[in-house]
Amino acid sequence: MSPGRRDLHVRPRGHDRLAVARPLATQALGLAALLALADQALAFTATLTPSAPRTIYLQIGNGTFNGGNYTPIKANGQPAGNPAKNPTINVVSVSVPAASVGNSTAQAMTTNSAAANSFWDGFAYCNLPQQLYIGGFYRTTGAGGGTISVIATVPASLIDGAGDTIPFSQISWTSAGNLDSGAEPFPAGSFSSGSLNVGSIGQNQWAESCWTFSYKNTVVPAAGTYTGRVLYTLTAP
Amino acid sequence: MRPLYTLSFCIIWLAAAPAHAKTVPIDDSGTLPYNAALAMRWQEPQPRGPSRQQMLGTLQLRVRLNVAPWLRHIGRIYLVLPAQQPGAMTVSWTTQGRLLPGQLASGGRTLVYAGPFTTPFIEDMVQLTIAVDGRRMLQSYPVNFRFEMDED
Repeated sequence: MSPGRRDLHVRPRGHDRLAVARPLATQALGLAALLALADQALAFTATLTPSAPRTIYLQIGNGTFNGGNYTPIKANGQPAGNPAKNPTINVVSVSVPAASVGNSTAQAMTTNSAAANSFWDGFAYCNLPQQLYIGGFYRTTGAGGGTISVIATVPASLIDGAGDTIPFSQISWTSAGNLDSGAEPFPAGSFSSGSLNVGSIGQNQWAESCWTFSYKNTVVPAAGTYTGRVLYTLTAP
Repeated sequence: MRPLYTLSFCIIWLAAAPAHAKTVPIDDSGTLPYNAALAMRWQEPQPRGPSRQQMLGTLQLRVRLNVAPWLRHIGRIYLVLPAQQPGAMTVSWTTQGRLLPGQLASGGRTLVYAGPFTTPFIEDMVQLTIAVDGRRMLQSYPVNFRFEMDED
């Protein structure tokens, strides 16, 4: 009930109104009693307000949570740790022996990422240095569009100092994490130049996988150090 | 024979009275906080599990019900959650024993007391938890509760 309704109480108006005959006075008392009864028909109210309703977090390789992992949830209902920015750009690499270059024997790649544990619960999820952690979550109220995708922006080639190239499509990955079962949110795939959807995160879901990269080794490039950078983007509506 | 006729009328009237048991809102204006702000938090997500769409909020209330009109009578008190925005909600609560713990879905009511009223007020500390689909939480929503009496 709004406070304003309390002002509806019938109030005495003065001595001249007291001079009415008894039946009228009884009616007035009856009206007052009814109004008072209506005022007692109360209801307490809880105003629900969504707290921190929109959050997205994406981690490729190293990431940062301040204050602990996301779980266990604290007594006040908030996550134990909070996601923070981490500027690290991790490297996945392989050195192919000269005698093996272009022999079509895939070469396992390794990462310099230090992210073995999931920030969801601290579980040792990825195996280093073979695997690269990819994960995140997406929180929003409203319909939210269901899922959002992680988009990789991939150059056409890796390039060395002399301008020689290796197609990015020479690199592929498998996807698994310790104790995983079922489909991975970021499944196995291989790079192709342009924008590449590498997986999705359901609304109000934590999604994570561990990627093991491999170099196909089906081309014979000039000797050198070839580099390229893939940019991963998570966008919420 | 007029006196006898009158007497039989009175007997019939008294016998019929219990069948007219009615439901009356209870004055709960002594409840604190009376208009509570409740921050709804996300139920924690799970990796690779189903999406968790629920938001939860917990509220500590000192419920104070004015049952003076029913003093030395017997009745049943219900907590009522009328159907309202933001849609389907579930409420559960614990008490310190004066009222009954329970749960409730919007549009329904649940018994919180049954028995005689020996004091003008019933008071208890109630911890109330509200769960709502976060996809419906587009803004803040005032959610109204009420206590009502089924008079015996």
